[in-house]
Order: sequence, then C-alpha cells, then structure tokens
Amino acid sequence: MSIGGSDLDKAIAQLRACRPIPENQVRELCYKARELLIEEGNVVGVNAPVTICGDIHGQFHDLMELFRVGGDVPDTNYLFMGDFVDRGFYSLESFLLLLCLKVRYPDRLTLIRGNHESRQITTVYGFYDECLRKYGSANVWRYCCDVFDYLALGALVTGASTSLTPTDGPLSDTLNADTLPDPDAELEIETLSSTGEIMYRYARNSSPQASSQPTSNPPSSPNASTTPSRVGAAGTGATSSANGSTHNEGGAVLCVHGGLSPLIDKIDKIRLLDRKQEVPHEGAMCDLLWSDPDEIDGWGLSPRGAGFLFGADIVKHFNHQNDLSLIARAHQLVMEGFKEMFDNTIVTVWSAPNYCYRCGNVAAILELDEDGSNEGYVRRSNGDAGRLKAPLVQKRLEGPGRRYRVFEAAPQDSRGMPAKKPVADYFL
Amino acid sequence: MAAKGIPDLRTLLGSRRGGASRRDARPHRGPPEVRHTGRGSNADDAVRNTDQDAAGSRVSCVDLGYLHDPYAKLFALEPATRRLPLLNRGTYVRTSAIDLLIDRFMMAAPETAKQIISLGAGTDTRYFRLCDKYPSAKLVYHEIDFPTNTAAKLAAIQRHAQLHSKLRTDSPQDPASLGPGATTYHSATYNVHALDLRSLAHTIADATPQTLPNLDPSIPTLILSEMCLVYLQASTVSSIISRFVNDFLPTPTPVSLVLYEPILPNDAFGRVMTSNLSSRNIYLPTLSAYPELGDQRARLKQYGLADGAKAADNEWIWREWIPEEEKERVAGLEFLDEMEELDLLLKHYCVAWGWRDDGQGVFSEAWRDIRDAGG
Repeated sequence: MSIGGSDLDKAIAQLRACRPIPENQVRELCYKARELLIEEGNVVGVNAPVTICGDIHGQFHDLMELFRVGGDVPDTNYLFMGDFVDRGFYSLESFLLLLCLKVRYPDRLTLIRGNHESRQITTVYGFYDECLRKYGSANVWRYCCDVFDYLALGALVTGASTSLTPTDGPLSDTLNADTLPDPDAELEIETLSSTGEIMYRYARNSSPQASSQPTSNPPSSPNASTTPSRVGAAGTGATSSANGSTHNEGGAVLCVHGGLSPLIDKIDKIRLLDRKQEVPHEGAMCDLLWSDPDEIDGWGLSPRGAGFLFGADIVKHFNHQNDLSLIARAHQLVMEGFKEMFDNTIVTVWSAPNYCYRCGNVAAILELDEDGSNEGYVRRSNGDAGRLKAPLVQKRLEGPGRRYRVFEAAPQDSRGMPAKKPVADYFL
Repeated sequence: MAAKGIPDLRTLLGSRRGGASRRDARPHRGPPEVRHTGRGSNADDAVRNTDQDAAGSRVSCVDLGYLHDPYAKLFALEPATRRLPLLNRGTYVRTSAIDLLIDRFMMAAPETAKQIISLGAGTDTRYFRLCDKYPSAKLVYHEIDFPTNTAAKLAAIQRHAQLHSKLRTDSPQDPASLGPGATTYHSATYNVHALDLRSLAHTIADATPQTLPNLDPSIPTLILSEMCLVYLQASTVSSIISRFVNDFLPTPTPVSLVLYEPILPNDAFGRVMTSNLSSRNIYLPTLSAYPELGDQRARLKQYGLADGAKAADNEWIWREWIPEEEKERVAGLEFLDEMEELDLLLKHYCVAWGWRDDGQGVFSEAWRDIRDAGG
C-alpha cells in the first residue's frame, strides 16, 4: 500500500487519534519524507508568520494541546526545533504525526533535528524500546532513524514584523492593567494563556513598569484590534497612527535545537556541513544540537558531555556577524515555558508541559507575525545578505515582535495513561 | 484525539491490572490518618514494594560503574533494568552522601564499639559492604523492616554463600541454623528484626513493650532512615525516635540520626511529585511536616539531637561533597541529557543528620568537617 493522497489523510486521522499506523505505511512515509527532506538545505529558509516550538518528547496529548492553543496545521505555520521523541510515552505517534503533516503540507511545517533524533540517544531514552514494544521489531525505529539523518540542522526565519498586532483578548486576572503599554506603542512582547487571556505586554524601548499612562484606553478594547492575531497576515494597522515606519522587518531569527558552536562563526558554515549522518559525538553538527547558553564569558565545557556552553558575548557577536536579531532554541527545560536571555538576543522555547509527567513546568510556543509593510518582498539570501539600511558598527537589529502562548499539560482525562506506569520516577 | 465519551478499553483493562496505581482501584484514597486507623494494608504493600525499586536502582548503578557493590545483585529479585542516567546519578549521590557520613563515623575512634540501626533497611547491602571495608571494627548492626521484607532478605542471604559467609561464626546462633522462612536473625554483630516500626511508637508500645534483642544501650549508635520514616505520620515518627534516643539508648549514650528524604513539596515539581506518588498509593506525611532544610534541622533538635543538626539537599551535596575528579569520573559514565531535570530532582531530596554526644563525642569528631548547605 502506498501512502499518498487519501491514504495520507487516513494515516493523519489515525495518528491524531494516537493510534500507530502499520509498519509498511511507516516505511512508505519515511521514504517519502526523506525524498522531501533531502531537498532542504542544512538551514531551511522560513518566512513569517510562523509559530516556533521547542521540545515535544513524545508527549502526544500535549502536542494536541499545542495545536489547540496555536492553531491547527495547515492554518498555522509551524517550526519544530527537534526532540520529538524519547522520554514521553508516545514518541512514535508524535513523530509520525508530525512527519505525516510534513509530507502532506511541506511548506507549512518545518522540522529540524534535535539531539534526541539520534540512534544512540534513542536507545537510552525510550524511543527504541517504544518501537520494539509497539511493533515487535526494531524496523520502525530504523526507518525513523534514517529520517532523522535527513532533518535540517537549523532554520532561518525572515520577514517577521518588529511589532505585534495586539491580540484581542480578555486581560488575565493576574495582570495589572496599569502596567499595560500605551495601545499606540510598538508592541514587542505579548504573553497569552492557553485560553487567550493576555498575561503580559511589553512595548519596545520601555521598561516593564514604565507604561502606566492613566488608562484612558484599555489596550484590549475591541476597537484596538479586530483581527485575531493567529491569522498572522494581520492588518498591522492596529497601531497605525504615529509610527507607521516602526513596522519594519527586523533581522532574521536563527532557529536551532541547542545553540552555537565554536567552529561556526557564519551561518554559511552550517550550510557546508554534511548532515546526512548519525549525530557525531563532537564537531559543529554535534554542537548545534547539544550546546546551551550560560552566564559565562566566551565558551565553556558542557556538563552534558557533548556540545559547549556559550555566553552573552558569543551570542551578540554571532548575531551581529550574521544580521540576526534573535536566536530561538530549545533543548533546556524552562519552568515558565520560555526564557529570553542576554538582552533578548536568544530565547529558549520549551513545549513539553509537565515534562516527563513529573517536572510541573508549563510550556510555550513563540509566534512571529508577518511584516505587513514588506508583503511580497522576499529577501534573497538568508542571513548573509549585507547589512540592512542601518550602516552601523555595533547597533543591534531590532528583534521581531514575540507572542508567547503559554499552556499547561493536557487534562488527565484526555490522555489514556499507559497501562504500565514507569516505576522509577522517584527515589523510594 | 480519541473521540470523547468512547472509553479506550485497553486502558480500562490496564487499570485493573495496574491495581494500586489506578484511580478506580481503591474506593477511598483518604489521607494517611484514615489508612492507619483502618486497614492500611494497601498502602503498606505499596511502601514495602518501594524496596525493590531501590534495589533495582542500585543494580543499575553498579552495572554502569557508578557504585561498587558486589552484593546489590544478590538481593534484587528482578533482572536489572537500566535506569535513566538522571536516576543513576541521583542514586549515586544518595548512596555516596550516606556512605560518607557512615565512613566518617566508622573511622572516628576506630577502637570504640559502635552500633548502626537501619530503619526499613529492606535489601540494603550496607552491612556486608561495611564488613569488607572495616573487617576489624567492633560493629553491631541492626536492621528493622516488615516481616515480608526481612524474610526475603534472609532467604537471599541463605541462597548466596557470599552473603552467608559474612554472618560471623562467633555468633551465638550458628548461621546455618537460619531456617527456611525465617524472618529474624540475631547475632552479636548482625541482627534482623521483623517489626512494624509503628509498634515502637509510645501510644501503642505502652501496652506491649517492645524490645530489640542485642541492642546495646550504651555504645555510640547511628540510626539511619533512608526513605523510611517519611512514610509515617510526623507524630508517630517523633514517638519512634523518642523510644530510641530516650529508652533504648538513654543519655549519655551518644546517638545520631541520619535521614534521607524528599523536600520542597510546595513548588511545581513538589506538587506533581506528591500527586504522582499518591496515584501509586504512596503518601509521605513528613514531607509536608518538614518541607524545607530549615525544618529538617529544627526537627532533629526537637528529637533532642542538640549537638549538631544539619541538612543539605542532594544538588548541593553533588556540588560540594563529591571531589572534582570523582565528578569527572561519574560524568564520563553516561551522556546525561537531563541537566535541568536532574537539578530539579536533586534539589528535592535531602540528607539531614543530627546527633547528641555532649559536643565532644564520636559524632562531633566524625562530622566536624562535613558542611551543610548554609543554614
């Protein structure tokens, strides 16, 4: 049986119900996916609008929750930064669903490789055992690992607007309305709960508390914006009045699972790597998937045993060298779902709520709006183009407006917990 | 997603089999007080079963080279399943921390006779390891556990000559006389008491006074509770400890208590931990009674262990107690991709140790240089 057209839709429906598809379909799917992925460069070009997601780790029901919160495919464009498998109980269903969606909607979904998309790591952290348990043989694991080898190492998002269209939603109870920025201000950061409540807003060039204008005009008032932000294309006119010109395209956003490598100073060097292999134990490819930002100067040894630690100076220099305004990465559990570091030059996005059914964290996804003023304009070469308009030495490019949607684990009753619970969760 | 309202039949089947861990399996998962006054056997079973968890974790650590323990395998009932690296690391830190405290105790005043009482000892191999490490020490070792656990342990000892030979031949009772199904064993050096610790709490014990054969009331004694007392009510624990430090080991006998337990039940990780364990029918009453390191120290003082009362979480212990070269060795054993999770996990367990010895006894000497986490 071949997997294409309606078969593919059937497979998607079956996987959405969290039921694995037959082995021969997996083989077919993986073959198709490889044909598709082999055409992608090591650094995939992606245009905003796009929703950037971090680690999933086989938490299938939480992936469904992510789609509920962020919008379904293909209505929303997604970029997943790897670590689809291991740790959770449904690595297989999660990865195969994402792969099916990739084959079905190749331009709507970008998948890049995480350090868990590796033969060696999946034999330790669960995916291998899960395949063996669900199919009785390691064939499906092998097919999937072959796909892993073809996944891109990074993505470069261009065309993101520097300011967000304010989301039309109720204010969260925890939000003090006085701290909301002026509705005309250029909105740089917005945080929303899973129900669409506004939890936080931050205007560019303001301090979080600064915007306490006597609230003549509640920012979420319906006439401030009538466009649900999720549509993305978005009339950027919500803040039209004074500052039309602030709606610029910011620098590009590099997305990578782990972080930077001392062997990579230009994005072009990533493009030159031969990625079609198992993740090596060292070297540039390994670093991109394993490294972490840390409060240090320069480079440091990673306690994980692979990759490096890198400090703010490294990030700022790299971003400047490559006309980037932001690096988005995953790889590290953050209890609040996302964490911006080093003067907003790098952000960690984590999309597995209550990680391992144990950590009690919330998850987040990051939405970048399309730059309306630049519609139709596609920048040619990603990232290594010349400087933008500004002819300056160390001025930072304006970062994209960032909308974080924070969500919790899917409710217990929506997930059939597996019959056999792992017993070694805690020290007893 | 599965259609709403249509139950997944396989899940239901699993829930029957899963027994204690399932919501529907117990009509009433009441608070622990209820369980103790009623038939608490379900919860007791769950607690007893935790011992094989610990045994399996130990074997995993030994297999991978974290720990050296030739006896671990002999007690584990199930074949070793490899644990995740972060669990191995956690078991390593836990074991190393307690080993350090006990080693210092053994090395202080080496000629002095000493006693160790291990509460809820289960399959712990410490007695056998200490025999190898301190062959000439004058040590009286006691283990206390539920009869089902002591029976399994004594059966394992009988099965393996390696263990059996460690029961010293100068004991009044010949080791060979360890009969099938034995739940207790007594000798001048090693004692296994089949006992529900709760029977030592004053309220119950007043009616039927308990004694522990071969317990020496006068020599320096270390009481160890590795994930044991945490399963009991705080007031019951107080009574049990009081029974030991006031009745069995009256002042001025130097006495100490070493605890290994979880802490921080009120943050996000702690709340999930409490809820996950309760779904396995495991409750940790003293966790809410002593949520932080400061509470652990205060508690030790309340027990009358006033000459030292210290506590440190396992993340701190890993950083501060484990020598750098040993850290490097351990870090090299496995890729560890769970750094943040490991941090969380280690921060939610602590070792607390307190003692009474007039400030100049064997414990003050042994533990003088061991730092606790601020406090």
